[in-house]
Amino acid sequence: MSELAIETSGLTKIFRSVWKSREVRAVDGVTLAVERGTTFGLLGPNGAGKTTFVKLLLSAVHPTQGNARIFGHDARVPESRRPIGYLPENHRFPTYLTGGGMLELYGALSGMDAAERNRRIPALLEQVGLADWRDVRLGKYSKGMLQRVGLAQALMHRPSLLILDEPTDGVDPVGRRQIRAILHSLEQEGVTVFLNSHLLAEVELFCRQVAILDHGKVALEGRVKDLTAGKGYQLRAVDVPERLASELAAKALATVRDAIFEFQFPSREQANEAVDLLRAAGCPIESLLATNSTLEEVFVRTVKG
Amino acid sequence: MVTMAVTTALVRDTFREALARKIFWGLFSLSTFMILFFLFLLKIDVVAGAMATMTLFGNVSRKFESQELVRNVYGGIAAFLYTWGLFLAVFASAGLVPSLLEPGRIELLLSKPVGRVHLLLGRYLGNILVVGSNIVYLVAGVWLIVGVKTSIWSPGFLYSIATTLFLFAVLLTVVVLLGVAFESGALATMVCALLMILSPILAQTRIMDRLLSSEWARQLWKGIYYALPKTYDVGRMTLDLVRDRPIESLMPLWSSALFAAVVLGIALVIFTRKDY
Repeated sequence: MSELAIETSGLTKIFRSVWKSREVRAVDGVTLAVERGTTFGLLGPNGAGKTTFVKLLLSAVHPTQGNARIFGHDARVPESRRPIGYLPENHRFPTYLTGGGMLELYGALSGMDAAERNRRIPALLEQVGLADWRDVRLGKYSKGMLQRVGLAQALMHRPSLLILDEPTDGVDPVGRRQIRAILHSLEQEGVTVFLNSHLLAEVELFCRQVAILDHGKVALEGRVKDLTAGKGYQLRAVDVPERLASELAAKALATVRDAIFEFQFPSREQANEAVDLLRAAGCPIESLLATNSTLEEVFVRTVKG
Repeated sequence: MVTMAVTTALVRDTFREALARKIFWGLFSLSTFMILFFLFLLKIDVVAGAMATMTLFGNVSRKFESQELVRNVYGGIAAFLYTWGLFLAVFASAGLVPSLLEPGRIELLLSKPVGRVHLLLGRYLGNILVVGSNIVYLVAGVWLIVGVKTSIWSPGFLYSIATTLFLFAVLLTVVVLLGVAFESGALATMVCALLMILSPILAQTRIMDRLLSSEWARQLWKGIYYALPKTYDVGRMTLDLVRDRPIESLMPLWSSALFAAVVLGIALVIFTRKDY
């Protein structure tokens, strides 16, 4: 099996209107590699092409150009989807099914035999906190419960690649924590998790790698810790004379809160120079920290160009 | 083995949806109503095995030759099945394909290791079995009741199970095609109704031979007649089978089957190529 869980090369999807007068490049030459066993977040503003990209991986949408491979297999072949567990964003599960019935159906479609399904269903419903809801029709489930049973459906056949589109959408904080715990345990089992989410803090918390999609193209890609690293140095001091504060503010982002001066320097040299000046002026230094960007800051910087 | 399990899952899902949408129960209730009608309201007295009287709502209608009476009863049911039964089955089933293709549902189905052809054929088969189980229930039920009441066991009536189901399977391909192409159950019902209405008109080829003045128009008429499913001709064939008469030609069967194969083929091609 390939060391890459997902591999795309120049993947492009152009949607054309019926009379071909207008075309939209939803995904534009995306080349991406997602290593086996990693946790990968796909980010992007609305309409960036994230969902189309996911649908290309699942062959629900056919590529105009390029190709996608799942564990080395052509994504267009149904068999390539056997190791995939998928939770769509705006899912519409059949409301005539019960929670157990739904897992039964999708388990069978994933190639599980009846005995295996019968063993797996109670354990999974227990795991997502819906053990008592097994025989209740999905029409009676809340949004958060549907999301949890949807996750159980994606996990039913023990996939080695989990593709989740907004998995915590509509889930309360307790349920969200429960989902995060499940995803962490899957990560430890070596399952590749591909997360498509608007919740940047959640992605930052969970994913090791991210890609930011903008206008169908990969605008930024890399490890979260690399992308957020090296924002600069935060220096906090008190009793800073006005003249010195103005001098430092010219070199750094400066704020004053509760009589504490806070300076954000882009480089280590500037931070050290400021420390020297402050010490020379006899100002007490409260703290000096190397700071990172948040993923949100990286995202906004990238998308705004 | 896996293929069979997947097919079974798709068929079961269609049954569950038909049950939830009350489609199955609607058809089942109608069939039960007809069976009860024959069980309690229709009284047939066979006299010396040769002549019979039929009593309906307490009124003795007239004397029949008993075999003829039973065949007439069967013929009436077969004709009912053919017109209203078939239309109701198409009407009831028309939503089952578009519902499968609803956004949010189809993506999840397509994410499974199941080919699109398999997915659509599974639903098609499930739909046929939903309606088929009702046809078997109705025809076999009436056949048993009339048989027990008259002691005349005419197997010809049972052929109507096969012919009605065959015609439903043919019309269902139109439902599948329009469901896949336009995701509209209403449009599919209308087109199927139109085909059923057109069939007896198009079947008048001999009359049209005389009425149409140009050879071109006559050939066009025949072309349309041969191309479209022959609900009328297969219906007549069913009546012939019920009444133990010889069948004139198998052409209505194979040409309708050919129509179904082409329409289903087009539906599968569209479904395979479509983005969801």
